[in-house]
Amino acid sequence: MTEPPPIRIVLAKVGLDGHDRGIKVVARALRDAGMHVIYAGLWQTPEAVVRAVADEDADWLGLSILSGAHMTLAPRVLELLREAKLDHVGVLIGGIIPDADAPKLLALGVAHVFGPGTPLPDIVAFLRLPRRPDHA
Amino acid sequence: MLDELLQRFQRRDRNALARLLSLVAHGERVDDILHGIGAPAKPARVVALTGGGGVGKSTLAGKLVEQARLHGLTVCVLACDPQSPLTGGALLGDRFRMPARPDDDGVFIRSLAAAGGRGAVAERLGPLIYLCESFGFDVVLVETVGAGQGDTAVHALVDVLVLLLQPETGDDLQWEKAGLLEVADVVVVHKADMPGAERVEAQVLATLALSAGAAAPVLRVSARTGAGVEALWSAIAARPLRRGRSDATRSAEKNR
Repeated sequence: MTEPPPIRIVLAKVGLDGHDRGIKVVARALRDAGMHVIYAGLWQTPEAVVRAVADEDADWLGLSILSGAHMTLAPRVLELLREAKLDHVGVLIGGIIPDADAPKLLALGVAHVFGPGTPLPDIVAFLRLPRRPDHA
Repeated sequence: MLDELLQRFQRRDRNALARLLSLVAHGERVDDILHGIGAPAKPARVVALTGGGGVGKSTLAGKLVEQARLHGLTVCVLACDPQSPLTGGALLGDRFRMPARPDDDGVFIRSLAAAGGRGAVAERLGPLIYLCESFGFDVVLVETVGAGQGDTAVHALVDVLVLLLQPETGDDLQWEKAGLLEVADVVVVHKADMPGAERVEAQVLATLALSAGAAAPVLRVSARTGAGVEALWSAIAARPLRRGRSDATRSAEKNR
């Protein structure tokens, strides 16, 4: 049997904040960890991000939000993922997320919240943890 | 599990197409999948954009997607970006430059990692194109990795090979070298809003005039201003579908 396929992750910024330095650093780290990173970039709508996850057959979606709109945008993305039958896709959130909001996001179905200062190897290690059996 | 995927593919479930593309890209059960999906109902027009890194392939691909949709055609983009020879990782950044309406089911954009030494395209690109064709897309648009002069492998897989050049790319000896320019069906002098485009156009025209057979059209195009984009679409649409058909496709055409 061939080696396992590389992890595919879509990284995107939703909403109108223009701070993309952090997500680019994460993109580079995941690339260097052997993953296939689909960089969807700035100013994406939840609809566009979910379409990218679908077409790219991604295992993960990483959202970077520094605008404070995470409690609006993240639930919308999760809802659209469910509608698109993409429940198996794990969602990570990075950026500026107040401590009080992180548990709420996890309760909504976000897999993990990585705040500023997270060591890059921690993100890599999290993505490599065994997950439930592969879809389809 | 594969049977269920193939059934969903027959029902034109995009998620099934996305999953099957992953399996083929990774080399899993390729023969079973190619037999299982059935022959395309009609041949797609398969177009490749190639040229050096930074010449504007992704941006122009986005414009061609718009053109296809304006003409009522559905389009699938297979965008290749390089894969690290050290880690196998890849940063696939092409779709960022191809804004498409997320509610438009007539557009499908897929990023593919391409290992080095394969002529600037992903492994198994032929079967990947065949999957998109069988799904029913009218146009399959392949974007190569930033390609050098010798990366001609994509020619055999597509109907129309579009080579992108840009101003300030070498002296006139550059165009006499063997390689991509010989196999291009359409030559685009891209970024034509920048100085020097006319000079490159004149040099390429002079070179092509010496070649045997019909010379490829040379067009000045700027994705930034939109100049020449419609003319490029017309040139692409005017080319015959010259791609060698696989046996499966040929038998399907016979049965129509």
